[in-house]
Amino acid sequence: MDQLEQLKKQWTTSGSTYPKYSAGQLTGFIAKRSSSIVKWLFYIALMEFVLFGLLSVFMHDSESQQHAQEVTGNVFYYGSFVLHYVVLVVFIYFFYSNYQNISAAQPTRSLMKNILKTRRTMKWYIWYNLGYIMVFTVAFSILMLMNDPSITEMTEKMHVKNMTTFNLAFIGISMVMAALICGVFYLVYSLIYGILLRRLHKNYEELKKMEV
Amino acid sequence: MLDLHYNQPQKPVSKELEATFIKELEENQNIVHKICRLYTNDQDAHNDLFQEVTIQLWKAYPKFRGDAKFSTWMYRVALNTAITLYRKSKRTVTTQAFETVEFKIEDKTEHDESAEQIALLYTAIKQLNDIEKALVFLYLEDKNYKEISETLGISEVNARVKMNRVKTKLTNLINP
Repeated sequence: MDQLEQLKKQWTTSGSTYPKYSAGQLTGFIAKRSSSIVKWLFYIALMEFVLFGLLSVFMHDSESQQHAQEVTGNVFYYGSFVLHYVVLVVFIYFFYSNYQNISAAQPTRSLMKNILKTRRTMKWYIWYNLGYIMVFTVAFSILMLMNDPSITEMTEKMHVKNMTTFNLAFIGISMVMAALICGVFYLVYSLIYGILLRRLHKNYEELKKMEV
Repeated sequence: MLDLHYNQPQKPVSKELEATFIKELEENQNIVHKICRLYTNDQDAHNDLFQEVTIQLWKAYPKFRGDAKFSTWMYRVALNTAITLYRKSKRTVTTQAFETVEFKIEDKTEHDESAEQIALLYTAIKQLNDIEKALVFLYLEDKNYKEISETLGISEVNARVKMNRVKTKLTNLINP
């Protein structure tokens, strides 16, 4: 392609048409804040850790939960709490080590790979939390059916004849509610990450396509 | 506590390091300007991307060993910033007057027609996707396929194959 060769010749000599920043201006630039997507990913991850951390404290600490503790027993109650925080620490470790591997000086493809890896860690973290909410809710409602005196009172008042149907309905409703909460979370996160990483995904696919 | 600034030096940065960096950047800033002009469509976005590239270069600088040339290392960081790290909502390509002018002025007298063709070619390059632009940019900078493949993280053969496809694409764009 002749034109490209001609452009190449002009390319090196066209320097004068570009603006020229002074050393002072450049020094000013390095003091400015970055707005790279890596920084945004970091902030979002931080928010996720805080949000789900708080959510689990809230799940275990509200007043009605004292009642829950009585109903479910200490092993389930504290066991789930401890497990949850161990997993949280593991996720923070993975996130941090992935994050450290992101460097602007590596080849484009591995940079993209590392960013997507960091994002995948957070995806798993969200899935873990949503799964946790689901399992916790279902286990909690089963234990409630088994141990909670107020449930017995309620079934007596309502003159429930078929206990199996009642139990299934009770578990079913709590599952649907948990699934709804999970659904909302999932939508919000897909939206946030989708907007942030759309271009990166597109470019990554383009590079991958070239390797086939 | 997590470190907010990845690749940030652990020790306080000396003034000398900063001075060396600024000097190198000042001398090589045309590379960054070329990338900015290729990836943005107005002066505001150009300046914005230039700033982000500078920040990314500075962040990565403490790990720059000097075993590669400053400019070679710079290509990588600057292109990565433009392709991967930089985020700006309005970056779609529209035809822009000022760059068409830029390549016309060069050969005004004798080669009006060829100058026009080159201007047309530049407009076509701006319509390529981010990765293709990077390939063409490195090609115009006279990088060999080894360097191109190392910068983008793809194999040399694939870089070559893709570049040939891009050339065909550009030919089709300027001769519809």
